[in-house]
Amino acid sequence: MGSDLDRQIQTLLQCKIITEAEVKDLCLKAREILVEESNVQRVDAPVTVCGDIHGQFHDLKELFKVGGECPKTNYLFMGDFVDRGHHSVRYPDRITLIRGNHESRQITKVYGFYDECFQKFGSANVWRYCCEIFDYLSLSAIIDDRIFCVHGGLSPSINTIDQIRTIDRMQEVPHNGAMCDLLWSDPDPDSCTGWGLSPRGAGFLFGESVAKPFLHNNGLELIARAHQLVMEGYKLMFDEQVVTVWSAPNYCYRCGNVAAILEVDSNLNREYTIFKDSDRSSMNSRTTPQREGPPDYFL
Amino acid sequence: MSTSERVLQNNHLRHREGLTTVSHDWTMVKAGSLVEKQTLVTIDADATVEDACEVLLKNGITSAPVYDSVKKLYVGMFDYGDLMTYLLLLLKKMDVPLEDQSLEMRDLIQRTSRSQNVPVKLASAHGDLSGKDPFCTVLEETRLGAVVHDFGTGIHRVAVMDAEGNMKGILSQSSTLDYLMRHLSEYPQLQPVMQKSLQQCGLSNGRVLSVNGDEKVLDALISMSTNSVSSLAVLDEQGVLLGNISMTDIKHIMKNLRTSWLWITCFQLVCKIRLSQGVESGEDQYPVLDVNAKSTFGYTLSKLQATKAHRMWVVNDSGCAVGVVSLTDVFRVLSRLIDTDD
Repeated sequence: MGSDLDRQIQTLLQCKIITEAEVKDLCLKAREILVEESNVQRVDAPVTVCGDIHGQFHDLKELFKVGGECPKTNYLFMGDFVDRGHHSVRYPDRITLIRGNHESRQITKVYGFYDECFQKFGSANVWRYCCEIFDYLSLSAIIDDRIFCVHGGLSPSINTIDQIRTIDRMQEVPHNGAMCDLLWSDPDPDSCTGWGLSPRGAGFLFGESVAKPFLHNNGLELIARAHQLVMEGYKLMFDEQVVTVWSAPNYCYRCGNVAAILEVDSNLNREYTIFKDSDRSSMNSRTTPQREGPPDYFL
Repeated sequence: MSTSERVLQNNHLRHREGLTTVSHDWTMVKAGSLVEKQTLVTIDADATVEDACEVLLKNGITSAPVYDSVKKLYVGMFDYGDLMTYLLLLLKKMDVPLEDQSLEMRDLIQRTSRSQNVPVKLASAHGDLSGKDPFCTVLEETRLGAVVHDFGTGIHRVAVMDAEGNMKGILSQSSTLDYLMRHLSEYPQLQPVMQKSLQQCGLSNGRVLSVNGDEKVLDALISMSTNSVSSLAVLDEQGVLLGNISMTDIKHIMKNLRTSWLWITCFQLVCKIRLSQGVESGEDQYPVLDVNAKSTFGYTLSKLQATKAHRMWVVNDSGCAVGVVSLTDVFRVLSRLIDTDD
């Protein structure tokens, strides 16, 4: 079994796809691991925290070059692995993954992952296996009880980390409620009311007057999250107590942004590293400037 | 009351401490005060329809008044509805051959109208080509109570004029809603209706005009035009809401000059628009904007304001569309309040 996995990893690293049967098998194995994880997965520092990837495979390889190869470096990815980019259907090795708003059946049907699976495998089966796995992903992570990591943000239904542990997470992302808010909310530096409805149509906007008490009451020093494109790769807010980390450089192969990762050492010191898109990715964007139909398979 | 509703109610009540005891009557607010800081964008009556469309796109607006510089007066409003009606008229005249289906919009219009540039004054004659939404004017002094009455009958916007006949600005249903929601704490008379459920307001079910996700965009636009509505729910075979298609979506077709988007399916258009908007704003939006029968009127208005949508679909527990709350419906409810107070 060990050599099978190695062979599959090698195939994937060459940006080639594995068979549907292999995907099904991997998903079953992944489920066994994920079902044991908590809604608030404990992670020990040192660890490198990453934001949205959105299927930008070659840029993910770039990320591993910059941050150090897994498993020598511990990684925590804050969701949104799929949709948009052309290579959502491959991920090597075990690292801590938490769920993003795109790890959802409804969203992947609109934003590209469903189409990509159908195009590459000829049926909806691989998409279904992956969506089942998404249901098992943790909702959040906590590094040494001090740094709280979630894809979107806070919820008016959640005041303590313990409340997150009581959520029944193994389901499709609901349209409202605590689980939805954690994956959809955004911090709002201009907020004067604390909470507001989100312009996204799900989740909330939360201000400093909500974030700071949450940090204080839960003994946290930082909330790390992703979910919003940041041109400079990362953005600090609320006296550096909330940070957005975005890890898809030149998003959609045309935004021209840089990406970032957050390296947390064993003393919880934080360092942000910026990186640009890989050569393979920028080649792709030069040859296909405007995307209309389902993404082409690019080798 | 759900968490969302509790949170919003706290927001609305938050600023009340410290206010004087003088009760402000929202119906007495002057129309002029709502358009004070507006920069007016106008379209020349002799401009071509394609040029007029470009004005809307460039300024990120959905309508603009049309000014005849010879007659020195305003002759109507031009909006995406007019563009759509004009386009459909042209396209209905003949079957568009396959090779023309990917032409740039300008070229398509040229082809189908045999290179006759139709001036926009014809397209927006008597208010507008589509025949609905007449060019309505009010004075700066006109009170909001009267304007809201007009909005409740389906008028989407009014032109605010000063005593000399100069246009000061355009007051739309959207900007009026935004004003009321931002100043809600100053108008306690509105609190009771905000707490009512959509069911209690009689808005929780009604006729849902829809199109199947597999139908072509062009057919949906024709359906909207025939039924005189500005949007359709996009549903799957079970009636589950997938998204919506509205007249303003035609701006996406124009923006990218992608006439080929007229011949894709409605669901594909919903996806393309969401993908495009997500990249532009750096934030992906939820594909459906909906509420349910138990949602409060206030929550529905807050969501309309936050998402800048012109309607919220009412869905049941299975996600099927059972009704719709449009801005016109909102203002009809608000104008009923005024009538019952008299």
